[in-house]
Amino acid sequence: MFLPDFDYHAPETLAEACDLVRDLGPSAKVLAGGTDLLIKLKHGLVTPTAVISLKALDELKTITHVPGRGVVIGARATHNDLVNSPLLHERFLSVSEAAHKLANNQVRNRGTVGGNLVNAIPSADLPPILIALDAWITLVGSNTSRTVPLHSFFTGPSCCVIDPVDEILTEIVLPDQQTTGSTYLKFALRRSGALSVTGVAVAVTMDGDTIVDSRICLGAVFPVPVRANDAEDLLRGKTWSDELLAEAGEAASCCALPITDIRGTAEYRLDLVRVLTKRALKRAITEGHV
Amino acid sequence: MNPPVITEQERAQKELAVVGKGIPKADAGVKVTGQAQYMHDLELPNMLYGKILYSDRASARIVSIDTSEAERIPGVKAVLTAYNTPEIRFGFLKDNMALKKDRVRQYRDEVAAVAATTPELAEAAIKAIVVHYEDLPAVFDPEEAMQEGAPLVHELNPKGEPNKDNRLRLPWKFSAGDVEAGEAASAFIAEGEYETGWVTHCCLGTAGCVAAFDPDDNLTMYSITQIPSLAKADFQEAMKAMGVRGKVRVVLTTLGGGFGSKLDTYAFEYIAMLLAHRTKKPVKILFDREEEFFATSPRQPTRIKIRQGCDAEGRLTFRDISMVLDNGAYTSWGATTPTVMMMPSSSLYQVENVRFRATCVYTNNTYAQAMRGYGTPQVTFAIESNLDELAEKAGIEGYEFRLKNANLPDTVTPQGFKVDSCGHVPCLEAVAERMDWAGYRAAKAARLAGDATGAGGDATLVESDTAGVPPVAQAAWTELPDKVRGIGMACLLHVGGGAKIYKSDGCGTLIKVDDLGYVDVYSGSMDMGQGLDTILRQIVAETLGLGVDRINVVIGDTDVCPWDAGAHASRSTFVAGNSALYAAQQVREQILNSAADILDTPRDGLDLTGGMVVCADDPEKTTKIEKVLRKAHFASAGNTMFMAAYFYEPPTDLLAGDFKGNYSMAYAWGCHGVEVEVDRRTGQIDIVRYIAAHDVGKAINPLLLRGQILGGGLQGIGWALAEEMIFDEGKLLNPNFRDYKMLTALDSVDVEPILVEDPAAAGPYGAKGIGEPGLVPTAPAIANAIYDAVGIRLRKLPMKPEMVLAAIMEAEGR
Repeated sequence: MFLPDFDYHAPETLAEACDLVRDLGPSAKVLAGGTDLLIKLKHGLVTPTAVISLKALDELKTITHVPGRGVVIGARATHNDLVNSPLLHERFLSVSEAAHKLANNQVRNRGTVGGNLVNAIPSADLPPILIALDAWITLVGSNTSRTVPLHSFFTGPSCCVIDPVDEILTEIVLPDQQTTGSTYLKFALRRSGALSVTGVAVAVTMDGDTIVDSRICLGAVFPVPVRANDAEDLLRGKTWSDELLAEAGEAASCCALPITDIRGTAEYRLDLVRVLTKRALKRAITEGHV
Repeated sequence: MNPPVITEQERAQKELAVVGKGIPKADAGVKVTGQAQYMHDLELPNMLYGKILYSDRASARIVSIDTSEAERIPGVKAVLTAYNTPEIRFGFLKDNMALKKDRVRQYRDEVAAVAATTPELAEAAIKAIVVHYEDLPAVFDPEEAMQEGAPLVHELNPKGEPNKDNRLRLPWKFSAGDVEAGEAASAFIAEGEYETGWVTHCCLGTAGCVAAFDPDDNLTMYSITQIPSLAKADFQEAMKAMGVRGKVRVVLTTLGGGFGSKLDTYAFEYIAMLLAHRTKKPVKILFDREEEFFATSPRQPTRIKIRQGCDAEGRLTFRDISMVLDNGAYTSWGATTPTVMMMPSSSLYQVENVRFRATCVYTNNTYAQAMRGYGTPQVTFAIESNLDELAEKAGIEGYEFRLKNANLPDTVTPQGFKVDSCGHVPCLEAVAERMDWAGYRAAKAARLAGDATGAGGDATLVESDTAGVPPVAQAAWTELPDKVRGIGMACLLHVGGGAKIYKSDGCGTLIKVDDLGYVDVYSGSMDMGQGLDTILRQIVAETLGLGVDRINVVIGDTDVCPWDAGAHASRSTFVAGNSALYAAQQVREQILNSAADILDTPRDGLDLTGGMVVCADDPEKTTKIEKVLRKAHFASAGNTMFMAAYFYEPPTDLLAGDFKGNYSMAYAWGCHGVEVEVDRRTGQIDIVRYIAAHDVGKAINPLLLRGQILGGGLQGIGWALAEEMIFDEGKLLNPNFRDYKMLTALDSVDVEPILVEDPAAAGPYGAKGIGEPGLVPTAPAIANAIYDAVGIRLRKLPMKPEMVLAAIMEAEGR
């Protein structure tokens, strides 16, 4: 398995990169960390004639807080940039924790947040926690720029709303918010280097023991990361208890439509949704953004 | 030739200077600095790159192979199939061929091969070959394969006679005593069926070789084999089949792991020979990770039925084991693992009446080979799990039950093993003490009593409480915390003094000493990372009274090194160690005799220690060893250089016929104790604590020994809980580390080794072999702990969370 031949571009500016994406069209692929693209290239799963690397675009690597917008994460930030960000530790430790659960250290050093989202596999670890925290993203084209809520970004396995012949994902924004706690629980068959069998992220807004609001997002149990709306509705305005959270777990399992694969059966994934939802809620309620 | 015996008492009296010290591995420096030369690093002038085209179906007739397009690619120097090469048969039953003709029987069957100037061109050429197949019926389940009318995997046996069915004609039967009488005398009987699947070695260095012929048709095979001498014989035989008259030399590169995977020769090696001979250029074949997963041979899958009984006092009365093994499509060492499974079946614990039967069956699955433990992990899973079931029936706590039946020193087992040194009981006791076994059990019983009466009980069972309330007394599962703990143990018996499964279990050593005091040791054995070279340095250094820095070990070149049966059966420290020891003792005698002449003092008062010839009678005559060496060399009277050769053949019985006899010079015992935490809601098993007590005879190098136990333990924990090759009708679905769940550093467990030193009389400095035992009892120890925690008996490996949860939910009626 070897890399095929292709033309290689490393534009110096975002505008130049967008022009290349538009000009080269479907024959080109955008390269960020390469942890997914290079494997696909070696396996012949994609056969571009050109690769456009974003490596020179350092402006896409920063993680900052912009008053009025929220925490802005550059799409080229690596998973380990998220893991090690003091800003995230202070505001959304749960995002750093989720990034830390992803793949292994080598992949976290190379792989990027933007790449993880655009790759759009149903078991990805970052989308659930970002969706639970109501994140939105920016897509920049040669003449356009638009924002998309992350929960409506994914359209199917390996499919998302990005225009592959015109747009580049540039940033992820975690808006300033009222949530009091959030967390991502991942169940995998190993502690490192394993895809999620089921992942559950939750964010809660508490007033004392009352659940004012919650967002629950499930990973690896639906063609796209999916909000457990039934569970969220069930919790709204109630005083939390172990029994209530177990009911929410049950409701969440009704929002999942998992498949059976070599990592687990559909039935097992539903069992995991029940227990992980309950545990994630309890953790976010009692421990904050962890 | 009998080994010299003179130094035994001297050794006992003298404090050991090097043996018993945890010195770092000889190759640590070159490995951590990247200087070690692996197969991946080896390049020869004009070398070509070979690549293999494998079958893409499990069972089919080859209708046609079109190689014309591949041959037209510039840079492609040879395209070979079975139709343009001589037939090379290999394997234990010679039922395998380097390139397959007319039909394929498994997905990994080699159909064609190319050699090209670059790896990229070789891959392109492989993709350009078009093979037309006609599918044939296939069978993937060994028990279905035994049924009448099942599709025959091989219509003919290697002699060309028709096969009646898929069963291999192998005599794997053993019996001792009277099982029926034992059964009749039993107060309690437990029976169960256990199943283990495919796991693979996961060598981080993928397999490969370079084959190079000289103009006179002599072959140098750069190899990563664990059996240099036997591989040489295999390749020499293949030369005959090729009609090539030259001689074979096998040269090893550094190995990136072995674990048994390199105990047999592979088709790719013969294919490299064919390509190299056709092109008259060196040819390298190097597996990629996917090939390493699907085209090397995994551990033998087993389905084991076991019955054991005991009398009213809990003494074992009989053991009856029968099993079916999935042989896959061809026969390698995997088919012989039952001969080694007989060992714990007959001789782990004292049981007089034993029966063992194993049937190996051809299927269209991948064929199996040797892997660390050579069958004993599989059968020990059945024996030790079932033993806990029997103990429970008898109402005797598992540890007490084991003590009652444990093996003892100076006994002969039903299979005829002469057990002298035996650390079984000390290992059991060490684990029980380290884990406070009795205290743990008492605390649990107290909690249980409290629960039953509703008074004085632990009303606030916290998560991770070690309660592990046993299943028999479950009042209400819902009151249990999500996570509960339990403890379990399991023991092992393995050969620790070689194993005569070939006609020879020997190893040769040559030693030469230069006149500066440096020693070269040429051993037939090899190192695959286990540290054999370091062990030999220590043994020779100790014997010659020199520092290890003076000892150079040369291994892995059949032109230079003597014969050896290979690195298997945990035999190298014992057999190669003894061979080196006895050779070194000869050199030592030569030096001391010369020194007596040179120093004009009686031989009896002389000793070699600390780099000196020490003269006890006249300390002023004490002198540096190298001075004596030079005097012996250059003195006109002597002109002597010191050299010795020794071939050590353990005086053991060949395992054959009724399989009774003493086929090892020592037996290694051990006991593992484990505490697990079971998540009752996800099925996740966490190892809280892992104790591994091993009877090692004598630790030549405690640092390396702990490494072996730790590595074996982790490999075993992976086998027990996570690792599995997942096949769909013969096709491997997870040929990568993403989906094959070998444990990572984060998953690793702090295995706590306990070294029990009960010296083996025949071992070098008392040592026993300990390469494999660390893996053997892991799965049953964990399974027993899971049972203790949640009351479910898991009989199939791996015990992955989904299976655990399903069993818990069934037990709890959820």
